Amino acid sequence: MAQKKRYAFVIDPARCIDCRACLVACRAEWNTPPGQTRIWVHTDGPQGTFPNLSQTYVPAQCHHCEDPWCVDACPTGATFKREEDGLVLIDEDACIGCGLCVNACPFQARFRNVQTGKADKCSACFHRVEAGEMPACVATCIGGARLFGDLNDPESTVSQAIRGRAVYRPVTDAVNTQPMTLYLSPPDASAVQVRPTPRDPLVAETFWHAVGLPLVKLAVAGAFAGQAAAFIAQLLKGENEYEDA
Amino acid sequence: MSHEKLTLEQREALRGQTLTKHYLANILTHWFNAFSWLLLLPTGLAILLGKAYPFVPQAWNDFVRNVFGGLAPLIQWHAVWGQIWLFVLFFNVFVGFRKYFIPFAATRMLMDRDDWKWLMIRPFQMFGLMKNRPLPPQDAYNGGQKLYSYLVVVGTLMIGVTGMIMTYHHLIPTSLQWLIQWSMPLHFISVGLLLAGIIIHVYMGAIMPEERQAFFSMFSGKVNGLYAYLHHRKWYERKMAEKAAWEDHYRRQMEAEETPAEPAAEMLPEAPNPAIAGGD
Repeated sequence: MAQKKRYAFVIDPARCIDCRACLVACRAEWNTPPGQTRIWVHTDGPQGTFPNLSQTYVPAQCHHCEDPWCVDACPTGATFKREEDGLVLIDEDACIGCGLCVNACPFQARFRNVQTGKADKCSACFHRVEAGEMPACVATCIGGARLFGDLNDPESTVSQAIRGRAVYRPVTDAVNTQPMTLYLSPPDASAVQVRPTPRDPLVAETFWHAVGLPLVKLAVAGAFAGQAAAFIAQLLKGENEYEDA
Repeated sequence: MSHEKLTLEQREALRGQTLTKHYLANILTHWFNAFSWLLLLPTGLAILLGKAYPFVPQAWNDFVRNVFGGLAPLIQWHAVWGQIWLFVLFFNVFVGFRKYFIPFAATRMLMDRDDWKWLMIRPFQMFGLMKNRPLPPQDAYNGGQKLYSYLVVVGTLMIGVTGMIMTYHHLIPTSLQWLIQWSMPLHFISVGLLLAGIIIHVYMGAIMPEERQAFFSMFSGKVNGLYAYLHHRKWYERKMAEKAAWEDHYRRQMEAEETPAEPAAEMLPEAPNPAIAGGD
């Protein structure tokens, strides 16, 4: 097989004009329920003082992190990082919508789809990408703010776009999940999708790790050891066919 | 158990007796339950990712997932068999075999004083202590078995409820998502504690020489009188009393039929039917 792919979004906030065609394209592609979205364009509004005003629009989506906390939180592997290209995807047939991944994502890039009851998020339109197309949001972006492609391919649009440019990853001191979104200008927005904030694990999750797992291990190991000891004692003692009923 | 001072003749006489400990309903339900555990436990453990919840090795996840062709078909299969398991158990207990299981629960689950006394001695004896303390007589099930039965009932209900929540997760609104979140650890813990019990249950029921009669009785339904007398004295005595009462009734009925002039048959007291009443 050829070299593994390493897909990334390369986004230039300086080129985004907040037309939100990408949000429409995404919704059309995925039929996301009203009130929920897989992608965002964030802004903190006008900055500076008149007449030196500026406003930045920061497109964002799931960053398909190299160290995805959501994948670590999933108890079954229903969400996973795809080996061959690094996309973080959800097996909807396996997902039971427990929401541990939703809570674990420091970008809050995931949500529980109200129609399917499953975890949902940007899947980088993997079906389009596999067919050689761009994700819907990228394909529709008229300003070229959103780019997508394989960083391992030096000829890809993303490789060419970042060549010789400074790139900014949406990380903070507290959270560095190695997000695979490279911003070509600083993503100056306070939204959590670019300013990741860790959240505490859910009580049920902590209970499972701290109480459930040790308790069950102890009980099963204890029961097994107990019957093993009794069995060995029984073998050493031997049986008397006339004694027992 | 072997402190009973029985003469050789008494032992042989007891050995020659046969008592019915389990009716077919009980036997079928037991083996269906055991079979379902054999299917559901390995598949369930393969659903839980070993990497995230280190209980089974990742290799087991990979192996079973490969057998089923992936995680989603494995989960679907586990959920489908789980529902069949629940349906059959509930059908048997509350509909199909209710005449057997409801009296069965009444006579075989309620703890009495002898059961508690037994519990305070027998566990120590298993570790070589209190060897000379006599054990109080036990009913069809001893104190330990009765307590275990509560764990089984509560654990099975817990597994069923949490399993159904996870299977029908899409019907649960996000505001009640905590139900799904708590179902996962509770399902795991219920299975884990029952598994610990099952390990003991299998050893004691099938391998331990003193209880070998119990193992075969789960196929034939029968135990011999010596086992019943030594391990379940109260039950043995009740069965003997029931048998005597029935024999007495039968004898009087025969006598009544031999003298047709008197309508005596109508005045006979109602005899207990040991095949139904009390489940024993």
